[in-house]
Amino acid sequence: MKSRPLIWLSFLAPLVLLVALLVVFYRSSGGLRFQSPAPVEQVAFERVVFLPDEIVAHVRNVGPKEVTLSQVQIGWLNRASWEFTVEPSPTIPRLATARVRIPYPWTEGEPYEIVLFTAAGLPFSHKIEVATATPLFTAHSLWTFSMLGVYVGVIPVFLGILWLPFLRNLGERSYGFLISLTIGLLVFLGVDALHDGFEQAGELPGPFQGVALILIGLSISLLGLFTLTRYLERRRAGIQQQGSSPLLLAYLVAFGIGVHNLGEGLAIGGAYALGEIATGALLIVGFMIHNLTEGVAVVAPIVRSRLGKGEGAVSWLHLLWLGALAGLPTIFGTSLGAFAPSPVLAVLFLAIGAGAVFQVVIEIISQMKRGAAPALLTPANLAGFLAGLTVMYVTGLFLSV
Amino acid sequence: MITPRADRWAILALLLLISLGAVAAWHWGRPSTSVRAAAQSHPMSHHRPPTLGSDTFQYVYPERRLASDQVYNPVPPPPTSQPVHEYELVVQDVEHEVAPGIRVPSWTFNGSIPGPIIRGREGDLMRIKLVNRGSVPHTIHFHGIHPADMDGVFEMVPPGGSYTYEFVARPYGVFPYHCHSMPASQHIHNGLYGMMIIDPKQGRPPMKELAMVMSAFDLDRDGDADFYAWNGKAFQYADHPIELKTGEPVRMYVVNLFEEMMAPHIHGNMFDLIRSGTALKSAELTDVVSLGIAERAILEFKYDHPGPFMFQCHFSEHMELGLMGWFVVNGDAKQKKASAPSPPTAKTAPHHRGAGK
Repeated sequence: MKSRPLIWLSFLAPLVLLVALLVVFYRSSGGLRFQSPAPVEQVAFERVVFLPDEIVAHVRNVGPKEVTLSQVQIGWLNRASWEFTVEPSPTIPRLATARVRIPYPWTEGEPYEIVLFTAAGLPFSHKIEVATATPLFTAHSLWTFSMLGVYVGVIPVFLGILWLPFLRNLGERSYGFLISLTIGLLVFLGVDALHDGFEQAGELPGPFQGVALILIGLSISLLGLFTLTRYLERRRAGIQQQGSSPLLLAYLVAFGIGVHNLGEGLAIGGAYALGEIATGALLIVGFMIHNLTEGVAVVAPIVRSRLGKGEGAVSWLHLLWLGALAGLPTIFGTSLGAFAPSPVLAVLFLAIGAGAVFQVVIEIISQMKRGAAPALLTPANLAGFLAGLTVMYVTGLFLSV
Repeated sequence: MITPRADRWAILALLLLISLGAVAAWHWGRPSTSVRAAAQSHPMSHHRPPTLGSDTFQYVYPERRLASDQVYNPVPPPPTSQPVHEYELVVQDVEHEVAPGIRVPSWTFNGSIPGPIIRGREGDLMRIKLVNRGSVPHTIHFHGIHPADMDGVFEMVPPGGSYTYEFVARPYGVFPYHCHSMPASQHIHNGLYGMMIIDPKQGRPPMKELAMVMSAFDLDRDGDADFYAWNGKAFQYADHPIELKTGEPVRMYVVNLFEEMMAPHIHGNMFDLIRSGTALKSAELTDVVSLGIAERAILEFKYDHPGPFMFQCHFSEHMELGLMGWFVVNGDAKQKKASAPSPPTAKTAPHHRGAGK
């Protein structure tokens, strides 16, 4: 047996040597002579706020060194130099943020470009398609964005749940069709969320490593939910509670969709706040139709369960909880997205949602395999799966802006 | 299968919930439109044009001003009677402050953009020595009448080298000079240009004189200039107005050295225009003139009224990106009383916002 100090030494030695090397490198550049031909500066726009007579750009220095903002131009037909102030300081440390306040008499509905020049003369520009007053954080605007969440997230889910009585009257083959349809819906939802996530990840500044965020988000939800499900099943199995597995599955679906809707809400609220969505009403209608399917997916696992009071029955109160779990996060999303937009959080939650949805798909399939269903790949099941994808695709057509 | 009782209750409850939500949304969602409408009308009612006399004065920024010694002196050397005029132009790579706070690597004659004003008299000998302390070969190409080997097109002057241009100054007029090394577009854009004034033999009536080179800078090389400037620095005469007196005759030499049309324009006045400076008398009274690339003119004027007057390029984009400045015309005691607005000096410039330093 080796001595403890020796083991610790073998742990510490590389670290100590690394620190020593870093000191040497920092002092003498380690014999490497890098001369940057041009200043490497990166400034990212995180948020643009339109106040009366003032434009406030929230920016982050995502370059390798600190950066100083020296001039501001506002582009309308042409660019024009404009006065400005920077809070807290025109010199922004690496990864720090600053607010650039520009007292510009902007007018509603016009397109603008904001250009920041660094002391080295590098311009960083951000285009606003349609200028619109940014909602201030008031009771009214909070209510407005909450209602936006209710419209696009909560109402559609509950409407979908209302199909439950109809779904309960389906025969055996139709049941397989329904479950497969749900899988189709979920797979579509997951792929869609991943796509949105990657799209937004591409717009994140480099240091935030958007793709890595997606990997982390996916892993958290896939592995986390897997572990949680196994734990709950073991516990239920211990106390011999029959018939709760479908309910657990329904909650998993609701949870996955809920996280997905949180990410979606963040994106919608943020887009509204940034004035990027011009045709708002149409988009709301689109989301309502699209998200109707989420309600179906939530209740699909409990279609065969007995509802009401009594041994092994699923209380109808669960329908409320399921709908709330799937729909309510949208409200947090839209409000948070509008007043404290964070592209990083949006990407993370889209990825977590995607992972949760995929995990649910895996869970449902394993249930189908364990259950009394004659075979997995029946014509009805395949048709259901395809129908699920098709429904999502067709309702998604309403979302094209 | 008949729907169980509990199911019916559940459906009723859900329907009730949704109806309530919809009613609430319809009722509460609406005020937001009026909030929006209010915000919409606000900017219009508070519109503040970025000019002097309004609450904000766009270009006066104490923290962002160029230091006085960094402002290009717009006064050309006075006409002389010596027969030989010797100049030394040293090419230096320096960081040029193209707009307050923005320094970019540039190629210059004697460290400034534009280069020094070269002045002679018709028939005199011009002897101009080019010393290249830059990093690439350069030349000087003068406009005017001279031999081919004095044209600055063939004889590249390598870094460390020098070359002396000698020619008889003719005809009289205003001329641009610039480096003609290839690619000329880069050499000129990077700052190697200036103005040459050749006076007529008999001279011109003495006046207060100003020399103004109009040019622009494309910092990110995307084909669109980012800053336009009188004498190489955006807004320098907005921060440091040029002082004039009422009744004082002024002669302004103007050259356009950028590859766009420029339209110098003075406010509150008209000027006698002498195109290319190749005539003794003006043939036109106007207040704006279009100058294509390398075109130039003499503008002669006299202010009747005291007060701040803008001089600008009439292309709004050029003006808003730096090609503007102020004449502050000081009257005598009588006239001063009559003048309403105060000149935009540091003392009187209204309302500065701090730069947060």
